[in-house]
Amino acid sequence: MYPEPENIWQQIEYSSLGITIAESTWMFPTIETIHVIALVTVIGTIGLVDLRLVGVKGHALRVSQIAADTLPWTWGAFALAAITGGLLFISKASSYMINPYFLVKMGLLALAGMNMMYFHLTTWRTVNHWELDPSFPPAAKIAGWLSLVFWLGVVFCGRAIGFTLGIYF
Amino acid sequence: MDDLLFEFTEWLRGTPVTELSLWISDTRASEWIAMHFWAIPIFQVIHILSISASVAAVLMLNLRVFGFAGHATLAESAHRYSRVLWWALLGLICSGFLMIVGEPVRELVNPYFWVKMILLVIGVTVAVLFAKALGRQGATSDVAGGGTKAVALLLVVLWCMIIWCGRWIAYAPV
Repeated sequence: MYPEPENIWQQIEYSSLGITIAESTWMFPTIETIHVIALVTVIGTIGLVDLRLVGVKGHALRVSQIAADTLPWTWGAFALAAITGGLLFISKASSYMINPYFLVKMGLLALAGMNMMYFHLTTWRTVNHWELDPSFPPAAKIAGWLSLVFWLGVVFCGRAIGFTLGIYF
Repeated sequence: MDDLLFEFTEWLRGTPVTELSLWISDTRASEWIAMHFWAIPIFQVIHILSISASVAAVLMLNLRVFGFAGHATLAESAHRYSRVLWWALLGLICSGFLMIVGEPVRELVNPYFWVKMILLVIGVTVAVLFAKALGRQGATSDVAGGGTKAVALLLVVLWCMIIWCGRWIAYAPV
């Protein structure tokens, strides 16, 4: 029997879905594996664009061409990562909400999203003017570096959660 | 399935792999990693970033083969993403080696680890032959045939299975 929920996070955790995932021997690792496959797809495809923005060329493709090829898959994989991440959260909501690495990971995800949104609403609008230049404008390079740093932080915090979940009360 | 994996683990316990892993755990390098809490998480981060690069390479090759990414020729794509794949494999091998040194028993006396290794050898072999075949085919035609598409899909399946086994190392019934 589970105790009476004392807050919203325990209400989520003790929901029938949360209990089903937590008590199953295979559901949590299976959802986690799909989460990892989705996350590495997000990071791999974003990384291709970010590395191009910061000046790692390696090929003759224009940055807008790389983005056109990768972004639909980035978004699809991100949606899958969000759904599976939500399911993982439901099963241990109260433990996640007191874990500082989880909270930092969510913050970094928000920052990565804001960085991308700002870049697309500003610098990216004029991509046709600068993508053939030998060097990209500072705003594009900064957006690329910030994105790389934020996603590196997301991966680190994601791994740190696995090593620290349950040690905070 | 759990019974089969448990039997596999029991069999591994009777092989020299167990002695090898115990020997590794007594080395100074292994003790150093065990004493530093953040060492394994950092190796795992490098491992995940390397997997991300390899997944991106396999995905982009697939997209080109199936015509969803049409900004480069088949030969150019094969050349470009096989280089990404090699760098990713270097990162995977280095970080994987450090993870084995840090937690030798957890890794080596584990059925998922060995299934992953077998799949990795198959995956890398298929990827090398695939990239070479794409380069050759790209010299004559820029449209991939049915066989090429089938191998491209096989690569995606293999990579998903490798990631699957890698994550399930933590959940092996040992």
